Amino acid sequence: MLSTLQQPPRSLSRIPLHLSSIKPLRSFFTVGSASVSASASQDQSSPPSSQILTVRHSLLSRQITATQLAESYLSRLSLTEPHLHSFLHISDTLLRDAQLIDRKIETGEDVGPLAGVFVGVKDNICTDDMPSTGGSRILENYKAPYDATAVRRVKEKHGILIGKTNLDEFGMGSTTEASSFQVTANPWDLSRVPGGSSGGSAAAVSARQCMVSLGSDTGGSVRQPASFCGVVGLKPTYGRVSRFGLMAYASSLDVIGCFGTSVADTGILLHAISGHDRFDATSSNREVPDFTSQFSSINLMESKPLKGLKVGLIRETLEDGVDNGVKSAISGAASHLEELGCTVTEVSLPSFSLGLPAYYILASSESSSNLSRYDGVRYGNQIFAESLNSLHGDSRSKGFGPEVQMRILMGTYALSAGYYDAYYKRAQQVRTLVRKSFKEALDDNDILISPVAPSAAYKIGEKKNDPLAMYAGDIMTVNVNLAGVPALVLPCGFVEGGPAGLPVGLQMIGAAFDEVKLLKIGHIFEQTLQGCRFIPPLVADDLVVAKDVFRG
Amino acid sequence: MGSRALLLLKGPSPPKHNILFLFNCKKCISAPSIRKFTTKATANGSSLEPPDVARLAETARISLTPQQVEEFGPKIRQVIDWFGQLQAVDLDSVEPSIRADTEGDNLRHDDPETFANREAIIDAVPNYEDPYIKVPKVLNKE
Repeated sequence: MLSTLQQPPRSLSRIPLHLSSIKPLRSFFTVGSASVSASASQDQSSPPSSQILTVRHSLLSRQITATQLAESYLSRLSLTEPHLHSFLHISDTLLRDAQLIDRKIETGEDVGPLAGVFVGVKDNICTDDMPSTGGSRILENYKAPYDATAVRRVKEKHGILIGKTNLDEFGMGSTTEASSFQVTANPWDLSRVPGGSSGGSAAAVSARQCMVSLGSDTGGSVRQPASFCGVVGLKPTYGRVSRFGLMAYASSLDVIGCFGTSVADTGILLHAISGHDRFDATSSNREVPDFTSQFSSINLMESKPLKGLKVGLIRETLEDGVDNGVKSAISGAASHLEELGCTVTEVSLPSFSLGLPAYYILASSESSSNLSRYDGVRYGNQIFAESLNSLHGDSRSKGFGPEVQMRILMGTYALSAGYYDAYYKRAQQVRTLVRKSFKEALDDNDILISPVAPSAAYKIGEKKNDPLAMYAGDIMTVNVNLAGVPALVLPCGFVEGGPAGLPVGLQMIGAAFDEVKLLKIGHIFEQTLQGCRFIPPLVADDLVVAKDVFRG
Repeated sequence: MGSRALLLLKGPSPPKHNILFLFNCKKCISAPSIRKFTTKATANGSSLEPPDVARLAETARISLTPQQVEEFGPKIRQVIDWFGQLQAVDLDSVEPSIRADTEGDNLRHDDPETFANREAIIDAVPNYEDPYIKVPKVLNKE
């Protein structure tokens, strides 16, 4: 059969969960695949199915109600949040929103493709019915007067917002340690970081606190936490999803991205939020295809479903400095792709290493401009002062955390008169080089692959005081943002660490606007991966395969 | 790959510390506080003034205490030095890209619309006295 990747170490300890108190949860979360034939064993190693489609089916066939699901999620949140701190705010209209869906279904009304889907939203994405803080004290309690376009589209399709998730302040960070409010824990090991900046969104999906979630990715902020938390993360092409309502960090790099427990769910969510938006001049006019249209059931697949596909493994991402465990997981993934029929060759992207300083120059410069709006005058927390300059200065120094302040100062320097040519302009030129080299590599290959980060999740506090060490961890992700192309991360293996091992993600990079191909390949990879189940021990106890609930 | 990026940390002068060790070691090791490379010189010998954190803070309208200036200074200088490696690259014939795509702007018509939720915008203002957003008096400097 197909390759079996390294097994996770035996799970040694788990957070004790009182199963009797969460009995209602048990029947609602299945790891069985609705799309696989009934004879497939729904055991611990079957591939993930689409929770979105499974739930939709169960709702429409009246087996469960959205209200029951909402109650389950609230129950799960109350048990897990004290350990994880994924959320900054939980919706207080959750039951009401679920009841609305139930009423629609009862009366035979059509419901949108996200009906019954509980969605977490990163707190730098504006919602008009819950606070939007950006992870910052300067926006503590801020209520946005509008929904971000991505949020509006989720609601229009009858998705239910479960809450706002934790993040590094304004997206600046890789661990959530730079959140002004709390640090989120990794569901695989509570002493480790979930990654960042979308750490809360990744942890929430990983711990099954919600089904899918929205994050943002400027330099890897969806992909790296997806890898650290063992979930699927998708960074779409720049311009695929409207940025209207996303608090801007680096406008030329920011995108809104999706998390899910399966490639299918991630693709369905992406489809729901994609498309041109007249409020975002950088959003593309291109038509939005059905991203999951090329998915096929694994039973109907031939033995080499990816025959003829060319995969380029980026040489510069597997050199010194990358953990052996990560290298091993990635080479296992490459073998798996070969077994599926791909030809995997090494490709070199010579401008790769320049991408990291170029990225940080561009990002800190653009952020220094974008964050100038937070001055305590029109919104946010104001520190009163006698002079206007001091009002601005004090509101910002009290409202912004140290990482944000440092990046603003670095950006201010890089954009100062006389330095623009030396830094910002040169970084933009590097961007051109990176774009070209990706385009050439993707002309020759269907996708490129690489690790997502040099290691699996590290301990909370480990990199906090060394900015360059933390930035170095972004080397595998930032070039994709510079090039603007899409990338999918899916869990492919484990390394030692934590009670049950730590997940490692594989990054697949596609050509601009070709998310269909990326998702198709990712789906096949995921569905044929043997022997790996990416459910953190924190959660595994109460995820029971309910063979009967979703049949039919 | 991370180490390659860190090798480039050394900028123009040879590394005085084994930075690879810093990266590979699993234990938490804080960055050596002494970075021997100078902050003034860059590969081309151009002398960009090193960051004056206090002045930058004033430009960026962030009120830093002297202690914070002390604290941020070395970290910022470290990162700016690291940025300096771009000076060494030959980029003469390369066009700068302002962003990744080539689609061009999709601008909507410049037709004013009244925003439906003005009240929420006004509610968010910290210091409002209808119809003014209040700020301290801007004093004229003599």
